Amino acid sequence: MPRKNASPYLFGVIIAGVAFGMVMLGLGLKNPEAVPNYYFYIFSAIALAASLRVITHQRPVYSALYFVLTILASSGLYLILSAEFMAFALIIVYAGAILITYLFVIMLATEAPSEEQSDILTEYDRVSREPLAATFAGFILLAGLTTLFAVGLPNVKPGDKLEAGDRQLAFMSRKVEPILKQAGLLKAGETVVPTRVEITSYGMPKDGDTTLDAIKIKAADGKERLLPRAEWPPTMVLSNTEGVAFSLINNHPGAIEIAGVILLMAMLGAVVLARKKVELDEFALNAAIARQRAGVDDELGIDGPFGRPGTGEGGAA
Amino acid sequence: MSSFSFLSTLAPTLAPTLAQGPLPQIMSSITLYHYLVTSAAMFCIGIIGFLTRRNLIIMFLCTELMFQAAGIAFIAFSRFHMNHTGETFVIFVLTVAAAEAAIALALVVLLFRRKESLDGGASTELKG
Repeated sequence: MPRKNASPYLFGVIIAGVAFGMVMLGLGLKNPEAVPNYYFYIFSAIALAASLRVITHQRPVYSALYFVLTILASSGLYLILSAEFMAFALIIVYAGAILITYLFVIMLATEAPSEEQSDILTEYDRVSREPLAATFAGFILLAGLTTLFAVGLPNVKPGDKLEAGDRQLAFMSRKVEPILKQAGLLKAGETVVPTRVEITSYGMPKDGDTTLDAIKIKAADGKERLLPRAEWPPTMVLSNTEGVAFSLINNHPGAIEIAGVILLMAMLGAVVLARKKVELDEFALNAAIARQRAGVDDELGIDGPFGRPGTGEGGAA
Repeated sequence: MSSFSFLSTLAPTLAPTLAQGPLPQIMSSITLYHYLVTSAAMFCIGIIGFLTRRNLIIMFLCTELMFQAAGIAFIAFSRFHMNHTGETFVIFVLTVAAAEAAIALALVVLLFRRKESLDGGASTELKG
């Protein structure tokens, strides 16, 4: 790492980080069940602070990088909510693909620094538009949203364990078989038949068993028996990725097709738009001509796609 | 005090007496409300950014921020209702965000080529 001088701030940050980590560790050791809650506060603080930086930073590139930090922190929140698949998909798709597109465009479409002014900030990055009114509107909206959540949420009932659904496991013989074998519930020669079994006359469900699902097991001699859900080993659960996959394919097959069409149309649209030849409008053209008359070296020419920037004040005739 | 009675349903242990745990109980038990407040705050930050910033690219970045806030709310509700529909919906939010980024950024590049400026206020030719 190249560095000029070891800044005193660096030591401060390191000491603060270590102290914070020790405090978190201590709290976690004292009350291990509450550890995800601490992580909730950490991640949401990071996400909100970074998103504040996104809208306040003067340089677009830094804004985009802070947005990456927001993405990482919210994927941490997804992890706490046990949505592992979406957490990693978020990092891959957002931080990996969409933000790279943004960075490309920021670098394509920012004004090239000149020799004498190596870091020039454009006027539209420095001066905001109606900050007071917008902040006021934002706070009104936030107050309304939080109040509505607070009033309405007690009426929202959480789903029961049934909805979480391990019942899809009955279809997944390859996943289920080794687990059952390890638990001693599957004898040699027996296979799991991937089918949906709903026991109606098996008897009353046992404690903690909210469904009457079962796994159908077929012995080598063709005899079938049912393994009701109450007897499944506790390690046999549907993972998050499998759950999302079943939800996607079983419940929303049409939406996947529509999403594919949307992506295709976006790709075609972007290609069509990017191929289009555009000319400078009057104002920018005049500015470019004036610069050339003044003897400014404009090696790209005035009608090049990325000619030298104008004043930043376009089109206000 | 009666108008704030919903607080007791949000955090059942927000009793007048302090909890004896390592943290106040409302801090050590995270409810759906916490996630929704985070999501709402992020959404409002996105809206404020969209209204105040003049750089077109940052304005679109702020819409992504709002998508992100919606995603957090979706995932929190998905966990709360114990099904995967919310997570599935976030996949489609991601799809729309990707499509929007592609189209919008192509338009921004076109505008930049024409105006040599990313100012959102520069494209006001249709204004009467």
